[in-house]
Amino acid sequence: MATQYDIPVGAQHISLLEPLHFKLTTENEKIVDVQANVGYVHRGIELACTSKFKFRQVSFVVGRVCGLCSISHTTAYSQVAEKLLNLELSKRAKYLRILVLELDRIHSHLLCLSHVAENSGFEALFMKTMKDREISMELLEAVCGNRVQYDYSVVGGVARDLRPEVAQMVLARLNDFKPKLDDLREIFENNYSLSLKNRGIGVLSSENVKLLNAVGPLARAAGVPIDVRNETEDLLPWKEVGFNMVLGDAGDVHARNMVRIHELYNSIQMIENVINGLPEGDIITETKAMPEGEAVVRLEAPRGELFHYAKGNKTQILERLKIKAPTFSNIPAFIETFKGNEYASAPAIIASFDPCLSCTAR
Amino acid sequence: MKSFFEALTNLFRKPATVKYPFEKTYIPEDYRGMIVHNPELCIWCRKCEMVCPPGAIVFSQDMDGKQTYHYNRAVCIYCGECVRQCPKDGALMQSATPGTPAVKNENINNSWKVTYDEALKSRAAYMAAKKAAAASKSAEGAAE
Repeated sequence: MATQYDIPVGAQHISLLEPLHFKLTTENEKIVDVQANVGYVHRGIELACTSKFKFRQVSFVVGRVCGLCSISHTTAYSQVAEKLLNLELSKRAKYLRILVLELDRIHSHLLCLSHVAENSGFEALFMKTMKDREISMELLEAVCGNRVQYDYSVVGGVARDLRPEVAQMVLARLNDFKPKLDDLREIFENNYSLSLKNRGIGVLSSENVKLLNAVGPLARAAGVPIDVRNETEDLLPWKEVGFNMVLGDAGDVHARNMVRIHELYNSIQMIENVINGLPEGDIITETKAMPEGEAVVRLEAPRGELFHYAKGNKTQILERLKIKAPTFSNIPAFIETFKGNEYASAPAIIASFDPCLSCTAR
Repeated sequence: MKSFFEALTNLFRKPATVKYPFEKTYIPEDYRGMIVHNPELCIWCRKCEMVCPPGAIVFSQDMDGKQTYHYNRAVCIYCGECVRQCPKDGALMQSATPGTPAVKNENINNSWKVTYDEALKSRAAYMAAKKAAAASKSAEGAAE
């Protein structure tokens, strides 16, 4: 038997965006075992939400859980609080929530794709993808008023209305973005040097997806149709705005890239449908009720299924808030995916998971 | 071959970045910037202070009952919840001016803690004085 070496990746590493620690046990450059440690950014947000902040303020606090999917957390919390208050939203508020969720998905997926390119050693593609991502960042800034912290969903609706000139700007800029996305798809699909690092690397089979409860693009790239947008219709009208399931088959890094890129096309289509069919109505529903009982909400964040649980006791302060982020569900699958690959492929595999540690550790 | 031509044309393209200090970056006209208070229109209900998630607004009170608005741009998260909850139109506004960064000399965190505590104390003192006055008045009334 060859000698085994333990190589740590993280918690501070050049290929990692966030503090995540993998201990890779390697044998002749092959990874045979992995240990993951994800608790480096624990900030006690759940306790703060149930002790310091009133339930209407919590939607701004959970937005600070993560910078990339802040709108997912805010929306999921707002929905769970509305369930506790028995509040029904106007259709316009729901449509506007979908608009920002999908714009957020565009910038989050492009960030992930750019980091896959960078970690695969394709620096120019990283810059190109980041350049195109700027379009979605500016659109989010125009719609929400800030580049990173959107604070768009509040308990009872959305914080601000969509101005007609901003709606026109979103449509025009997305039209400009489509040929750029075609370019990116071309490169990610056919580039030979990228395919050496991406095709057949980091394979997660559909059996393992089901066994290890993987969610999000990681599961969909293996051909398992897991998407909350396909399963729930009561909180946000996903199918009405034209949601289509995107599935891959190979389950490798390349398949995950392709799933993300094709989801971008679907997101653009959904945003256009939302803006063209935006119904009239109030953007916010007022109530003086207090949260009572328990509720659970699932929402498809860019990385997979996001889960919020809340329990209220008829006071301003919630009794319990539990956030389960998609990356947390995916960690067993991460570990399985590494096994059998070359050590040199590890950075590209990590980037293709799109791990979000701020969400996971909270 | 295609990427070779792409690389060549890139030599003559304009940079994608903005030359920041000389050119302004994109800021929409309804950017969520600093909160502006108008003391002439304010009805002093303190609702903004109650709803502010980070506690960036606090009202102090003199002994004659006059309230003063204090705002800390470094604590503010620019969510605009105070403006949405304000019952009086125009008393609180969200400007499109981004908050300027806090510098060391300002001692913004520690001085804000002092301001905040003093504001709460001044209000408690005013309430206590009011209560004492009311108590002595009712005692006088009872004596008469």
